Amino acid sequence: MQKGKFWKTESGLAFFFLLPACVFLLLFMFYPIVYVILMSFFKVNKLGDLVSFSGLANFRFMFDRPEFWQIIVRSCVWTASAVAVKTGIGLVIALLLNVDFRGRKVARSLVIIPWASSVPISAMIWQWTYNNDFGLLNHTLRTLRIFGEPPIWLAEPRPAFFANLWVDIWCGIPFMALVFLAGLQAIPQELYEAAEVDGATPFAKFRFVTLPLLSSVLTVATLLSILWTFNDFNVIYVLTGGGPGTSTDILITYIYKYAFQYLRFGPAAAMAVITFVILLTVSILYARSYFKGGGVY
Amino acid sequence: MRRWIIGCVVVVTMVLVLSALAGAQKKVSILWMEYDGLTPDYALNLEKAFEEANPGVDLEIISTPWNLGHDRLISLLAGKEPPDLAVIGTRWLLELLDMDVVEPIEKWVSKDLLNNIDPALMEGKVKGVLYGLPVAAGTRLMYYRSDIIDKAPETFEEMLTIAQKINKPEEKFYAVGMAGKKYVELTEHAYYLFGNGGYYFEMLPDGSYGKCRVNDEAGVGALTFMNDLVNKYKVTQPGVTAYTRDEVQDLFVAGNLGIFLSGGFTAALLEQRGVTFKWDVAPMPHFEGKPQSTLIVTDSIVLFKTSDAKEEAGKFLDFFYSDPWRIQFDKMVGFPPVTKSLANDPFFQKPVYKVMIEQIPNAKGWPLIPEWPECNDIIWDNIVATFLGEKDPKTAMDDAAREIDALRGM
Repeated sequence: MQKGKFWKTESGLAFFFLLPACVFLLLFMFYPIVYVILMSFFKVNKLGDLVSFSGLANFRFMFDRPEFWQIIVRSCVWTASAVAVKTGIGLVIALLLNVDFRGRKVARSLVIIPWASSVPISAMIWQWTYNNDFGLLNHTLRTLRIFGEPPIWLAEPRPAFFANLWVDIWCGIPFMALVFLAGLQAIPQELYEAAEVDGATPFAKFRFVTLPLLSSVLTVATLLSILWTFNDFNVIYVLTGGGPGTSTDILITYIYKYAFQYLRFGPAAAMAVITFVILLTVSILYARSYFKGGGVY
Repeated sequence: MRRWIIGCVVVVTMVLVLSALAGAQKKVSILWMEYDGLTPDYALNLEKAFEEANPGVDLEIISTPWNLGHDRLISLLAGKEPPDLAVIGTRWLLELLDMDVVEPIEKWVSKDLLNNIDPALMEGKVKGVLYGLPVAAGTRLMYYRSDIIDKAPETFEEMLTIAQKINKPEEKFYAVGMAGKKYVELTEHAYYLFGNGGYYFEMLPDGSYGKCRVNDEAGVGALTFMNDLVNKYKVTQPGVTAYTRDEVQDLFVAGNLGIFLSGGFTAALLEQRGVTFKWDVAPMPHFEGKPQSTLIVTDSIVLFKTSDAKEEAGKFLDFFYSDPWRIQFDKMVGFPPVTKSLANDPFFQKPVYKVMIEQIPNAKGWPLIPEWPECNDIIWDNIVATFLGEKDPKTAMDDAAREIDALRGM
């Protein structure tokens, strides 16, 4: 190829158009990631500047703290439970919305509402809902006499954890439902007709037609949900701030505390790197299983 | 055609001149804390009035809730985008000095302004250098329902006796308000600790802070009493660990509490909301046999070194500390005036201000150490663990003291 001709070819043009996006990615994605990795191996001052190389000191500092391990376990339990419930409920809603019934369009629009509203605002509304004295939830529970005395949701570790978990689930269900619905609508109707001819029961159709053909969508949706749920800062920050004590802290809220409340950017960066490694491992495992299965149908 | 060209040239020239003029304006930004009782209109009017009085200055007031103020300021500093000025809790000053970001303020404000501030309130002076002007300063006191309680308790023991009489949880009326969810500071604990003759750190002869002493007799006694109020006598609102100070204050304003320990801002809020019940204030109670003492909190305005509009920032401070603006501010936030010129104003002769001023001689401030935000959290977590029954008061305070000493390398 003649010198300078490359940029006149179609590939050259494509690279040319990609250039701004690449610069943007380098500046706003790779630079912060590399800087955080560097911070985790350095002593960092209170303004976030690197002072001196400290090896693994920041990691050792975190590993020596018993609550760090509790928070790692809690982050995993939080993510696994939230994603499992969101997937389950999202799938059920998607199956229901895939059935042709009157008012389906309205139902679909209603399902989107929690997703369309801002997460901090939703969390604030739930905070009022959970309020023991003036909140709608405990008032309803008392009126219906479901509980003798309902729990004060945000006052004790376990109820507070479940209260946070539910808000995260509530905010995340619409995404799962819509993605699954899109997946369901891509399944050819002929396959169900063939299954019916073979005498398949509704459960058998779900088990042997729907699930296998939805698996790639399930994989992608749950992977995204894992990444978002593991990093869900807003709900916990607004509802409990990680409390009572540190009982609802997950890694992301703990990182925030260390960085912006205690100004310990080194240990915070070490935790951010640990989070990155955990999520990268999960993503790689998911990607492997996804491509092994043949990717998108 | 020629006319069109001339017209276009004129318009373009005007746009350029106007932009240049706009660019010539100096911008002053201030991180402004939203005090309870302070309306958003105040900040808007202040901004407008200052800009009218100083046409060359563009003032930007960045409002933020107190509870988020520290984190927001730190984010701005870490992002190398600090405002020119910021309202801070004076106890954050050492942390900011540690970061080497604060400018000595004395030379940027007028002598008249400096002379008009009570020197006793200049807590923003470190090693003889003034870094911050006091914005608000006040001691904490006791609010009580005077329609239910005949005489204000002087001691915490008396308060408990009254509390047991007036507590009616079945009617959602609780005797004593208690905040157990993290807020800006450990205020609730400080009231009981200081009233028991305690403090957070040993004071060394050179005035510096020694080892943490929250696990001494006074510290453990204070927490034991707080825990008894919550778990043994159950005279507080249930689920204290879910309530921030603001939320407890809401309970008092709503008429669901008999006694609430707080600052002057609660009085301002009660008046603004026009509550129908009768309430009064009294000095902060203390434990029997211990001297009366309470917490004094000061907030300051600081100027940052990176500011390229220090002179204009100084002008703003002179403007903000002038009587017409300060009196509105002081009335709204409910603190006694920090300027001498307003000290004798009839408005500040009310009981709430009298009590706050009378308590000053025995009041104690927050420890001025750079690690205080983390120490604060460690103590909070251990208090919460006590309320939740996970630790007894002695173990909780021992753990807190050990962790704080380790953190400070002691």
